[in-house]
Amino acid sequence: MRRSVSTAGLAAALVLGMGALGAGPKSFEASAQQKPATMEVKIDNFSFGPVELMVPVGTTVTWTNRDDIPHTVVSTDKAFKSKVLDTDEKFSYTFSKAGTFPYFCSIHPKMTGKVIAQ
Amino acid sequence: MHPFDIREALLAKHAQHVVLIHFPIALFLTAVAFDYFGQWTKNRTLAAAAYFNLLLAAVSIVPVVASGLAAWQWELEGQKLKGVLFMHLLLGCLSSVLIWLVFWIHLRVRRHPKDSLPKYRLPIEGVAVLLVVLTGHLGGFLSGVNGPG
Repeated sequence: MRRSVSTAGLAAALVLGMGALGAGPKSFEASAQQKPATMEVKIDNFSFGPVELMVPVGTTVTWTNRDDIPHTVVSTDKAFKSKVLDTDEKFSYTFSKAGTFPYFCSIHPKMTGKVIAQ
Repeated sequence: MHPFDIREALLAKHAQHVVLIHFPIALFLTAVAFDYFGQWTKNRTLAAAAYFNLLLAAVSIVPVVASGLAAWQWELEGQKLKGVLFMHLLLGCLSSVLIWLVFWIHLRVRRHPKDSLPKYRLPIEGVAVLLVVLTGHLGGFLSGVNGPG
């Protein structure tokens, strides 16, 4: 009797353990899928914030001009280039390839930033 | 940046426009000051000083206009401007035209020394000064001279 109880307990523990093992990766995938694939960079007071942004490949980065004056977002290697962004205007770009993408404002070239897509 | 790429060198952070603009502004404002004082004191030497300052202002405005238009066409790809950038472009063009007009008025009289400078030039110069100041103000605002760094 005692042996059958302990065997049943072991089996239950195994089932629970297997369940937990199976659920683990699934829950990680779910949380990864729930993460928004968009990131925001704010342009304010003549600077990009954050200056350096690390994103997974496939992420769309949106730059929003919160400054009083116009700015642009231009990648150094010409991968992307926005039009002139007035106050509250946005520009988005999806990083479909891995790499480092330094960019600047062509009106105020001292303003620089970097997106690292991994 | 390649050192022998003219376009890149001229547009390197298109600072040329921001630097060069100081020359015609200073020369034109000085010319108008000389002209007003020359008119007030009837001093021909001041009028001559005004003329030569105007000549230099009219000449130095050319690379300023060229570098500004080049920045618009190359850096901003000639896109339709609006807001402060458009106002800066519009006022800059009007200022340039008025500076050349004032210079032409002085040049015409200088070619005919018996003629005297027409008095209607004074309000034109006043308007031109106002436009130059407004254009410079917007340019300073755009360039971020009040911003960090």
